[in-house]
Amino acid sequence: VTGLGGGGRLVVGVGGLVSGVAAGAALLLGGYDVAPELVAPTLVLNLAVGWSFIGVGLIAWSRRPDNRTGVLMVLLGFAWLLRIAGAVAQPAWFVFGFVTSSLYLGVLAHLLVTFATGGITTPAQRALVVIGYLLTVPTTVLLLVLVARSGSCWDCPRNLVVVSRSSGSAVVLLRISVVGLVVTILLTATLLAVVLTQWWRAGRAQRRSMGPAVVGAVTILGTLVVQRIGVLLDFPPALSAGLAWSSQVVLVVWPLALLFGVLRSRLDRSAVSSMIVELGAGLAPDRLEVVLARTLHDPSLRLAFWLPEREAFVDSRGAPVALTPTSAGRALTYLDRDGARLAVLLHDAALAEDPELVSAVAAGAGMAVENERLHAEVRAQLRDVRESRARIVDAADAARRRVERDLHDGAQQRLVTVALALKLAGRRLGSAPAEEIAALLQETGDELLGALDELRELARGIYPVLLTDAGLGPAVIALAERSPIPAVVSTAPAERLPGPVEQTGYFVVSEALANAAKHSAAGRVAIDLQAGGGALIVEVSDDGVGGADANGSGLRGLADRVAAAGGSLRLTSPPGGGTQLIAELPMGLPVARP
Amino acid sequence: MSTRVLIVDDHAPFRTLARLLLTADGFDVVGEARDGAEAISAARVLEPEVVLLDVQLPDIDGFGVAEVLARDARAPTVVLVSSRSRGDYGSRVADCVARGFIAKAELSGDELRRVLGNEQRTAS
Repeated sequence: VTGLGGGGRLVVGVGGLVSGVAAGAALLLGGYDVAPELVAPTLVLNLAVGWSFIGVGLIAWSRRPDNRTGVLMVLLGFAWLLRIAGAVAQPAWFVFGFVTSSLYLGVLAHLLVTFATGGITTPAQRALVVIGYLLTVPTTVLLLVLVARSGSCWDCPRNLVVVSRSSGSAVVLLRISVVGLVVTILLTATLLAVVLTQWWRAGRAQRRSMGPAVVGAVTILGTLVVQRIGVLLDFPPALSAGLAWSSQVVLVVWPLALLFGVLRSRLDRSAVSSMIVELGAGLAPDRLEVVLARTLHDPSLRLAFWLPEREAFVDSRGAPVALTPTSAGRALTYLDRDGARLAVLLHDAALAEDPELVSAVAAGAGMAVENERLHAEVRAQLRDVRESRARIVDAADAARRRVERDLHDGAQQRLVTVALALKLAGRRLGSAPAEEIAALLQETGDELLGALDELRELARGIYPVLLTDAGLGPAVIALAERSPIPAVVSTAPAERLPGPVEQTGYFVVSEALANAAKHSAAGRVAIDLQAGGGALIVEVSDDGVGGADANGSGLRGLADRVAAAGGSLRLTSPPGGGTQLIAELPMGLPVARP
Repeated sequence: MSTRVLIVDDHAPFRTLARLLLTADGFDVVGEARDGAEAISAARVLEPEVVLLDVQLPDIDGFGVAEVLARDARAPTVVLVSSRSRGDYGSRVADCVARGFIAKAELSGDELRRVLGNEQRTAS
């Protein structure tokens, strides 16, 4: 049904018009004597309710084809007009009118259960809708059969449509099925509870659009409950008639409330316009999210910007944002421009039913979003630089602490030993045998050689003199020769490269070899350095256990060091598959890439 | 009777040389310990008069060991040694219960006697 095109809706509209005219004719010319003062209000109210539902329903249907509310409104209008068949004073028409007299209540129940969600979404909703329909035509038919069997008849046929003080016979008929009435009251009360629960659970954006429809629904249901209880308890006819009139009046305007809920975005064009004006006047940083939240009436709205380089979303401060689209009641709308992702809106799920509004807002805010995205990108980079700067300072401090400890534990201890041994030799000179003195002096010499070795190793660790004197190639070859794991340098640049590139390249190889020796259990390491095309590519791979952690402090420090030289680092280390580290270092100016 | 000394240092060559040097200079080295815990138990068993205590130990540092020893009933006199200089420890040496401090390279019987004697005079 929802697939009906514009032409189909035109036919339905004409059908509604014709049905209304026919119903009016039935009321005026049906053959019953109607009190003159009741003719005009009956005619006007019945046609108003029927046409209101059909007309407004068609508008809702054409604007929101995916939402079932419009279709149900149209059906309700027709069901409402159908029951006026009972105004024709002939037995067949009477029976038809009587049987269909409550059909509109079934459609009304259906509408009340689903207007907030736009369709049936849960088994409980389905059950309520089915019970609602069962209480209409099937129950009435059952009643007719029972009455026919009992042989009794009431003063039939009489006009069932006109509400008058003498509708006592209808009351008699309804009394036959007190059970049905009680069930109806219970159903109506349940519907009231359903509507109020949906209202209670709705987010702010949804409440706004539901508001008028909920007020109308509560009024209608309240009137229905009181009216049915009145029938059960035999209220004075004047009161029952009053309630029936008032529920019809509410029914005339309720379709407009439903339409408001379905089409709220159309009414919010003004909000979008004022947003565009506000954005045009320039916006303080961080304010865009606030403006979007206000325009979409969703205070929980969050805006996150896409950074293609790191393939992640960040907020306006550049901090990473975790997107959890699965969390209940939340939905994501991606904002793209020229096929490129710009940002994402994390918003109340109710707005997802309003894609036109969201996309209108997104289109209106496009330029501001693009600007803000650039801001966020810069802030994210600044954040990265700050973090890596702090890590580099920490790493330098740690390195100095290590040098102090190495000196203290190594060369310093050996020199202390030398000093004491010489002092002891001096004391014993003359009194001790020459062999003892010789042994002490031998120990002194050994300790001094050990101290020299350690100092040399330490100095080379602080800065390799070969790198300064001979360049990256010879320095890396010397490094490979000293590696505890056999390391082979396949290619190394013979020419000198810019200082920062040589230093960083050497650092990469040195750290990679140290990591391999510590963690990889590898049997062999291959080193390859290729200079050309404005960059130096350093590749170090081993045949070890793999599984290296790129966020471990060693590799993190290496990545910082490479980033500081404007380069990038790539780690491939599947468990059991060896470790491959590739650094690309630009040989232009050592500045951070944009 | 010569003064009974316990040498505490995690560096074996230093312990050996310190023992030879102090013995040559007339001290009685009654034992050696490699770390703080060993130093505390050795001091309680051997009851030395002087503990020559390295500041940099693998477990508790020398300042901590000195605090523990000072609480014992027959507390030995503690002299700190280190391959660092006294200035590297700032006011920690002065604030410590130890009698004094000797840089390792300057260790000798005379130096140890000077530290013990000096401080004793100041104390009395």
